[in-house]
Parts: sequence; structure tokens; C-alpha cells
Amino acid sequence: MTKSRRYLGLALDGPQLLELTSDDALRDRWDGLPLAFTVLGSDRIDGSGPAATTLSVTSAAAHLAYRARHARVLIAASPHYDHPYNLARRVASLGHFTGGRSGLLLGVADAYAPAGERADRAWGNANLGPGASLTVTTAIAAGQAIRSLELGWPFETFIGDRETGILVQADQIVYSDIEGVYEIAGPLNLPGPPSGPSVIGVLSDDAVDHGLDLRIGADGDAVIIDVDDVDAGDADADADAGGADDEGVNSAGIILRHNAISLGALLNEVDGWLASGRVREITPGTDLRRALELAPVPARPSDLRPAFPAPAPHAAL
Amino acid sequence: MSGKRSGHVILGVNVLVLGYLPASWQSPLLEKDASVDPRYWERIGATAERGTLDAIFLADGPQAGDPAYDANPIRLEPTVDWGYVAAATDNIGVVATASTTFNDPFELAERLLSLDHLSGGRAGWNVVTTRGVNAARNFGLPDVPFRDDRYERAAEFVDLVRALWRSAADGSGEVTHHGEFFDIQGRLRVPPSLQQYPVLLQAGGSPKGRELAGRVAEGVFSAELTKTKAIEHYRLVKGLASKNGRSPDDVKILPGLLLSLGSTEEEARRRSDELHDAGPASYSVGWLSQAIGYDASKLELDEPFPEEVLAAPADPQTFLGSIGFRESIVAQIRKTNPTVREYLKQTRYTGSGHAGFVGTPEQLADHIEDWFHSGAIDGFNLQPDVLVDGLDVIVDEVVPILRKRGLYRHEYDTHTLRGHFAAASPTPAS
Repeated sequence: MTKSRRYLGLALDGPQLLELTSDDALRDRWDGLPLAFTVLGSDRIDGSGPAATTLSVTSAAAHLAYRARHARVLIAASPHYDHPYNLARRVASLGHFTGGRSGLLLGVADAYAPAGERADRAWGNANLGPGASLTVTTAIAAGQAIRSLELGWPFETFIGDRETGILVQADQIVYSDIEGVYEIAGPLNLPGPPSGPSVIGVLSDDAVDHGLDLRIGADGDAVIIDVDDVDAGDADADADAGGADDEGVNSAGIILRHNAISLGALLNEVDGWLASGRVREITPGTDLRRALELAPVPARPSDLRPAFPAPAPHAAL
Repeated sequence: MSGKRSGHVILGVNVLVLGYLPASWQSPLLEKDASVDPRYWERIGATAERGTLDAIFLADGPQAGDPAYDANPIRLEPTVDWGYVAAATDNIGVVATASTTFNDPFELAERLLSLDHLSGGRAGWNVVTTRGVNAARNFGLPDVPFRDDRYERAAEFVDLVRALWRSAADGSGEVTHHGEFFDIQGRLRVPPSLQQYPVLLQAGGSPKGRELAGRVAEGVFSAELTKTKAIEHYRLVKGLASKNGRSPDDVKILPGLLLSLGSTEEEARRRSDELHDAGPASYSVGWLSQAIGYDASKLELDEPFPEEVLAAPADPQTFLGSIGFRESIVAQIRKTNPTVREYLKQTRYTGSGHAGFVGTPEQLADHIEDWFHSGAIDGFNLQPDVLVDGLDVIVDEVVPILRKRGLYRHEYDTHTLRGHFAAASPTPAS
């Protein structure tokens, strides 16, 4: 059986993220690569951090949204010190600025988080409640909450009718009424991106039932491999790189990681993989969901409470 | 104040999404989804920078308001929005509002310092606390802490963030903080910015808010309806800064100013009237109700305000409005004793919470100059009725007048937000 070639992604650690955002030439080179996506700040959640320096991944992604118009990114985050409501706002906002080229990869804990009395709880340091356990269950719950919040205000509610004075069909905005690990009423105070709900993944080596878009980890939709461990030209590269034999289900993607080397050197590695023909190229510029050929997100439940009354044309004063 | 003041004013723009008036979205220059269109936001940043303005501000809060008739409740997250705009500009300061009530101090410190680093030292943080059940229910809480508690948490939150920033700037290593609200031991690994760390601004007019301002803020975004009160508050906050061992020049006072401009006063009033009339009738009444803590729809429109409405709110701990705003409004009503209808109409021209200005660019320059030389302000945070054309008028017509009068820069000599503030006029001697 002919194996379909896997897509190629990239994982950047803190110092590489700093290089990416400060070196125009490297950034432009990266922006033009036919990668599936780049995980920004992967070392926060993949067990390899912390490094000596880093950036907030949403700040970096916002900066790159303007300076790099083609690359696709997954921002690495966790519920460790990010509440899903706040994270949802930033994820949805990024979706607007990137045209759907951004998404979210959730891990269990953030390697850059500080220690403290409540540091072993998700959202513990904010001291606004007991927090939640730092487990993949919490990460998944956070991802599902963010998904629900983004769906709560569809972009299509913009009607902009100057005759009636109605800008948004506000009765189509619904509360999320999330319960369980998180209690979040919603709605968000911004609509979801016009490209649709953001791609959300979870980082886990366990085959968890996540209800999101993808799992990155052993035998998952994609797997992170360290460049040191495998060579693009190696005939057995497939076998090492997450299950590439002729019979098993393979990971659809390989995400290259090589922390603590320069970004330029890492991009040279990427070039090697692309030139080897063992991975498939994905044209830069398209949104993440289309690029990864992900299934559409199921419609939101139909029984959610409207957050606002149906707008009516208003009389002139 | 004796002697004419030298130096220049500070000019910011409070970007109330499309404009402070609900009908701003109806401008023929805007698409219906302009509020979330990156091209709109890029244009705002570019226009403000073309005018060599000091900063653009973005308000924020973690709860939803009804966007049916008004784009103002549509809130892109400020650090993302300004991160994008900062990448598209070189000199304009970018001030993001973020709440101390519903954030993690380490995460927020990291994110704001990152914005500052990436923007080349142009970031500011407008410190607010959050009120209201709607926000609390987004974080699994039944309600928000009482007002004083919010400010206690805010004070510690701000101190911790500043400690983290300073440790990142001077490389001093780990910060250990065991406080009433936060217990943290860690190090920010974000590099310092060109201005070391973000500028701190504060917008609350309550006594605790002013206390915070005097102690640590570098900018105060205030609400002043009258020059007399503005001068009083200016001296108060500057005095608080001195009491805290700071120079009065270390804190800049920037009241908001709602604007409708036209080439004649009549044209400006007509523009304001048309925009008000195109918006929902509930806008003015709803705003007033929220601001004074009394349901204004119950008032007789053609009668003066009843005394019990003007009296102090029943419980400062539970009143959800801004104490500073309420103070300004009550002072204004007592000064002119209007009927409710007259006051609502008056606020079209004179301001709702913030002072309003309806007139020509020349008149606005006169107003700015008058308040500046009177020692009422260090600058203004301008709030155009419709930004997509109103900001161009500020840049192309108001700024040139101010420059001719020696009141504003001709080009950017400074390139960080702290640098912009430091280059402005010093505090006049009282």
C-alpha cells in the first residue's frame, strides 16, 4: 500500500520564538515554507521547557499575524495560568487577525509558570477559586469551553442594516452555560472569526476522547519528533517517526522539534525534510482547518439560551 | 497657576471601537464587520501615527454587552489587537486595558511585557478592576468582590506585576511574593523592552483608585466635566504622587473628551444630532441610569432631577457605576439645574461621563490650550464620535493648529511611550 505522505509541522521553543519575531529575514523565510503549521512556544507544554527566554505566545502570534501573512500557527497554552474565558477571547481575536491561520494547542501545564502555594492547580495562582487539577481532563475541558464560547456568537450575526439601525442579530448570540470542570456563562464579547471556529488540539500521548480537532502525541493525529532522533533521509525514518508502516494507522503529521539550536539551523533541517520528498507540502496562506482537511465543527446545540433580546428597528428620537 | 506653561500636551485617542456614539457603525465609510476587520484597526494605528499622537487606548472588560445597535460592545482582546497594530506602526504608544480582578498576575505580566518588547517599548497597561455579576459568572463566581476588596487585590496585583517586570529588566532573578491575595515564586523570562517595561495607567476615580494612581500610575485616564473639578483632581493626584516620594511629573493626567467636530459649530452640532438620532433612544437614558445608579427611565423627562437621585448612592460597596463619573455628573447637574430631557440633550454636546466637545478644530484647540494653561490637564484622551473620519480631522486639522501654537510635536523625537510622556510639558507650579 502506498503510504500517503505526512504533513510537516514545526515546534518552536522560547528562544526560537524570540528569533522568529526579531529577525525579518528568518521570519520571511519561515512564512514562505509549505508547512502545515508551527507550534509557537511548544516547550511550554511538551515537557522540554523552560528555556532561559521566551515570549507570551498570543503576543507573538499577534505580532506575526501582521508581519507574516502566510504561515499557520498553533499557540501552545494550558489552563495552568490561563482561564478558558480569557484564552477564548485571545484565540478568537487571533482568528480575526490571521484569517483563520491560527489555532490553539492545549497542554496540561505550563513549564514557565511560577511556583507558589496554589501553583499546582489550574488557575490556582489567580486565587479566584479552588482551581482545577492539572490533568489532561482539565486541558480538554478548557478546549471544549473555548470551542463552545467561540460558537456562541457566530460571525454571520452581523447584518448592518442602516434602515432599521440594527448592526447585529443579537438574539443569535447565546450563553454557553458551561458546567463541570469549569463554570462559564458566556457569551464572549466578540464574534467568532469569519473563517469559522478556531482549530483546537490537545497535546497528549494517551488516546483520550477529546471532542476537539486533533490530538498531538503518540499515535495521534500528529506527533512531535526531535530532529536529533530521526533524519529526513533515513529509510527507516517513517518507522521512527510515529508509526509509518504499511499497515497501521499513521500519524497524519510530523512536527519537527530541535530546541536550543538557532532558528536558522532549524529551518535548514526543515528544508532537508521538504527536499527529501517524504513529507507533503501544504500551500501557505490557507486557513488551518482547510490546510489540515479537518472536519467541520458540529453545530452548537439548539437549546442554548439567547443572551440578548431580538433587536427591533428603533424609532428616530 | 502663575506664568504661561511651556512644552506640549499629550494627545491620546480612546478607540471606542468605531466611535463613542452607537450609530458610528452606520458611517458609509465602514463595512458592517469593521469592528473585527484587521484593515480597520491597521488604519486607526496608521492615522494616529501620521498625526504623531502619543498613544491609542483600548478599553476592555470580561463580559458581553448587547451589540444589536452599537459596535462598542464588540471587543477584540486588547493585547492581540494592539499587538497587531504595533507590528504595523513604529512610534504610536499602545495602551491595553486589563483587569486585575479576573487575570493571573504572572500571566498578565508576561503578556504585557511581551507586547512591550515586541512593540519596541510602546506598551501601556490601563489598570482597571471589574464589577458586575455578568463578568463573575464567566469565571465560576457568583459575584465580584465589593469595591474596596477589588482595590485591595488590584494594589497587590499591580505591585507583583511591577516586581516581575523589574526583575526581568534588571536580571535580578526570582521574585518571591507571599501576599494576602497572591503567593508566587518565579521569574519572568521575557526580555525587557526598549523602555524596560510597560507604562502604568489607571482610570478609576474613587478614593482608592486615586490612591493607586498617586502611588504608582504614570498616567491617569480621568473623567472631568468641569475645569474647576479637573484642576482640583489634577492637584490632588499630583499631590499624592509627591507624598509617595515621586515627582509630580511622573504621573500625567489625561481626561477623556468626547468629540464631534465640524468646519462650523453648526455643522458639528448637526453631525452630533444626526448621529444621536440614528442611534437607539435607550442609549442616553441607559447610559445615565448606569452612571448614577438610578433607573432614569422612571424620571419625568420635563422635570428637574429629584433630590434623592442626586444624593449620594446608597452603598458605595454595591453601586456598580464609577464613583468618579457620578461625582462629575452630579456636579454638572447641580451647576445648571436642567430638566432630565435638557440634561440628556445637553450631554450630546457636553459629554456623558467624560466631557464632550462639539465644535470646530480651532475651538477644540482653544479648549485644549485653555485647560492646559489652567493646570487642569497634561493632555487629553480624545474620543471621536466616529473614528474612521473623525480621527483624520484630529490629525489633519487639530494637530496642525496645536503645532502652530507651540503646543504639540512636529515629529516623533521620542520612540517609546514613556519617552513620549517624559517629553511632554512638566507640571506647572501651583
